[in-house]
Amino acid sequence: MEEPANLEIHKKLCVQCEAIIAASGKFCPACGARQIAASVLSVENRWILLKQAALFYSIHIVVCAVSKFVSFFDTLMWELVTVVVLWIASVAFFTDKWTENKRLFNWRSFSWPKLAAYLAIAMTGAVLVHYSVGWLNITLFSKDEHYYIFAGNKVLNTITVIFFTAITPAIFEEIGFRGYLLNTLLKVADAPQAIYISAFLFAIIHLSFISLFWLIPFAIFQGYMRLKEDTLWYGIFFHFAFNLTGCIFELF
Amino acid sequence: MESPELTVAPTTAQRCETCYKDVSPDDAFCQSCGYPLKGTEQEQKAFRLQHDFRNIDLFAFNSKIKKASNALYYLSGIFVVSGLIIYFVNTTAENAVAVLITNLILAMVFLALAGYSKKKPLACIISGLCLYAIIVILNAIVDPITIVSGIFFKIVVIGFLINGLKSALEVEKIKKENNLS
Repeated sequence: MEEPANLEIHKKLCVQCEAIIAASGKFCPACGARQIAASVLSVENRWILLKQAALFYSIHIVVCAVSKFVSFFDTLMWELVTVVVLWIASVAFFTDKWTENKRLFNWRSFSWPKLAAYLAIAMTGAVLVHYSVGWLNITLFSKDEHYYIFAGNKVLNTITVIFFTAITPAIFEEIGFRGYLLNTLLKVADAPQAIYISAFLFAIIHLSFISLFWLIPFAIFQGYMRLKEDTLWYGIFFHFAFNLTGCIFELF
Repeated sequence: MESPELTVAPTTAQRCETCYKDVSPDDAFCQSCGYPLKGTEQEQKAFRLQHDFRNIDLFAFNSKIKKASNALYYLSGIFVVSGLIIYFVNTTAENAVAVLITNLILAMVFLALAGYSKKKPLACIISGLCLYAIIVILNAIVDPITIVSGIFFKIVVIGFLINGLKSALEVEKIKKENNLS
């Protein structure tokens, strides 16, 4: 009888007969039992998870597409309705698995230097994107978009733009995409594929061609950060700093 | 007792007959594939049969994935052709160049997804399916008639992609079980 403490790091015990086997072994050499990690789900279960994620994503596609391309919904009131619908969707799907998702609101890895570094990366990225996108828009599509909601009242305009483009997306897109969607995909696919899929879906939901080339790397970085730090908070602050820098360019 | 075992040539005796991975002479089962090394002839035959069935399944799933990646190639081609047609039909329109560039970028994205779908089928098929769904919905919002045009083609493409997606899940599971990945 060998004590578990004497077990070397590259050895494990068989799930059925507790014989000692190599950590990479898929089958027990003594009893032949398959060694499956508890986290591997059946194809049926993963298919159900994917269908649920598809529902979450379809809601986003329809709401974003309608609010962006139907001129009837071009008012501030409808903008608010759109945002609230997307909040509800993100929060509802996230809280559906609250017991396993709530740990993402922990911030055990908090450190000021790290936060400052992420914020600096976000702001630098936003500056680069601002100049490159401005250039691309003008050369390729000959248009220059700006935000003028309350053209007469600068303070009100500033507050509205910051609310709609910096604060709410930072919180609810992180909860929805890096929280619910990425967590679901991690159960369906391996980590690199899950990060990539959530990033691609996040990028194309913005319904803007020019933005694709920076949104995908942005979202991959966000996904990687969320996995590495195991918290949503760095992502929320990163996203906020990025969008706020963009807002400042648009407004002033 | 131990000296005869040491003199045995380490070629056939040390390898599993099913997956050709190294095995130790003490093992009753192969650690990589579960082959009953010390089982009866019947047990070994039954195992090999099951193993063959799994390979047949794998072949069927892979051919469905192939169809899905062909659908992605097809979409890429469609976007190039339709982009060029729209461009040359109304060259004078103000957004003609923008439409052409948009279609070419879409074609490139689908081409990249199709090309990479052999390596990472799940990621590429999900991405392709979602991108195509967004394009169909946006077209329908701008011009509702587009949802009916080519409806048969749309259903076939989406069908191939969904089947490919399911097969990709199955293949990943089989690969994980068989220690192939």
